[in-house]
Amino acid sequence: MGLFGLYRERHTPLHRAPAWAKMLGLVLAAAWLAWCTVPAWSVASALVAIALLASTLPPLGPTLRGVVPVLVIAAATGAYQLWQGDARLAVDLAADFVSLICLSLAVTTSTPLDESMGLVSAAARPLRRWIPPEALALVFSLTIRALPELTRILAESRDAARSRGLDRSPRAMLIPAGVRTVGYALAVGDAITARGLADEAVSVSRRGPVRR
Amino acid sequence: MIEFQDASVVAPGTTVRILEPTTLTLAERRVAIIGANGSGKSTLARLINGLVLPSTGSVTVDGRDTRRDAAAVRRSVGFLFTDPSAQLIMPTAAEDVALSLRRTVKGKGERASAALAALESIGLGDKGSVSVHALSGGQRQLLALAGVLAVGPSIIVADEPTTLLDLRWRAHVDALLAGLDQQVIEVTHDLDAASRADRVIVMESGSVAFDGKPRAAVAAYRRLMAGT
Ligand SMILES: Nc1ncnc2c1ncn2[C@@H]1O[C@H](COP(=O)(O)OP(=O)(O)O)[C@@H](O)[C@H]1O
Ligand SMILES: [Mg+2]
Repeated sequence: MGLFGLYRERHTPLHRAPAWAKMLGLVLAAAWLAWCTVPAWSVASALVAIALLASTLPPLGPTLRGVVPVLVIAAATGAYQLWQGDARLAVDLAADFVSLICLSLAVTTSTPLDESMGLVSAAARPLRRWIPPEALALVFSLTIRALPELTRILAESRDAARSRGLDRSPRAMLIPAGVRTVGYALAVGDAITARGLADEAVSVSRRGPVRR
Repeated sequence: MIEFQDASVVAPGTTVRILEPTTLTLAERRVAIIGANGSGKSTLARLINGLVLPSTGSVTVDGRDTRRDAAAVRRSVGFLFTDPSAQLIMPTAAEDVALSLRRTVKGKGERASAALAALESIGLGDKGSVSVHALSGGQRQLLALAGVLAVGPSIIVADEPTTLLDLRWRAHVDALLAGLDQQVIEVTHDLDAASRADRVIVMESGSVAFDGKPRAAVAAYRRLMAGT
């Protein structure tokens, strides 16, 4: 499931912090991590990031499922650099990976998607002449919502191909998966229209462009 | 009140007529639409909230044309799909209902408590922070209904809302739909549910084959199915 399913209602300092501050903090932290190449500082940052994540009291199982793939990538990247003979870079990169994933998770476990959407639409406001901000926020949440659905469609198509003895044929898996993905997209489009959300996004954008 | 005036539908990009010109006035509180697969039931249902627009003729809801006044029509017509998964957009149950409320309830706190109230009214009060994926099919359909009811529609159109559900959830959703104050138009393959309607429309090959009381309608439907 997507990282954004991690939000839980809790009473921690990060939950109380405004969404914009957390997002800004995340961007600044990413800049700091990219700039800083001193391994000791990177490791210290990673420890702070882990502490921040822990402070949001994240749900254990789902959080681990989100973290483990990144840890594997971090370890692989570190190992590769080590093999290249650059121990400093190995530590630095691995620590940066850990910091970034923990900080993003700290934001997503402490910020309801509704708020993130509000932020996305606020951030998109300067673009409102071209893109309706509400629409962008909706696309943002739909993307997050669609990821687990696409995973499920792929897994089911793979199982269906296997049960027909077509394990080795990518076509047997990808064609039904593609068809179902298009079907899913059409169904979501209908649902958004039916719920009046499309009307809302468009009417906001119509109000948006200021005539000067 | 829903009015079809000679409304017909041609499949987009083709010349194939999937709904023959149809004139109907739906004013009964409970209307069921039954018929074979591909007979045009969904097309008829989707015309009511403007998801499908008539190729000829018109469809109006409380006097508002679905073509000219689509947004207003959709505000008063809630739509329930067969598979609620596509209808649920946000990660958790409460957030999804809150999304429906974005237009009507300003203020995060108010929205959250209104969403919770909507969930409670439908028996999902303890599921607010549960991931949509963790809900059963029946609970998802209830959640979709909560999201639809939260905006206060006067009409609910449901396209086979219980087809994917087991018997127990089917009975539960049926009971909920039956208890609604709203006018309910339900497409269904469940002849027991159709028998409880005030009026039943039988579709066949894109036109209304029978329109009347449940008992006669179900008999007509059975005759149709036996004939092919
Ligand atoms: N977008 C479309 N393009 C082409 N044919 C369509 C389209 N939508 C529906 N149809 C066809 O119209 C007929 C009626 O469809 P529908 O209203 O979904 O029937 P029902 O809900 O009774 O199963 C079917 O034969 C279907 O294949
Ligand atoms: Mg149908």
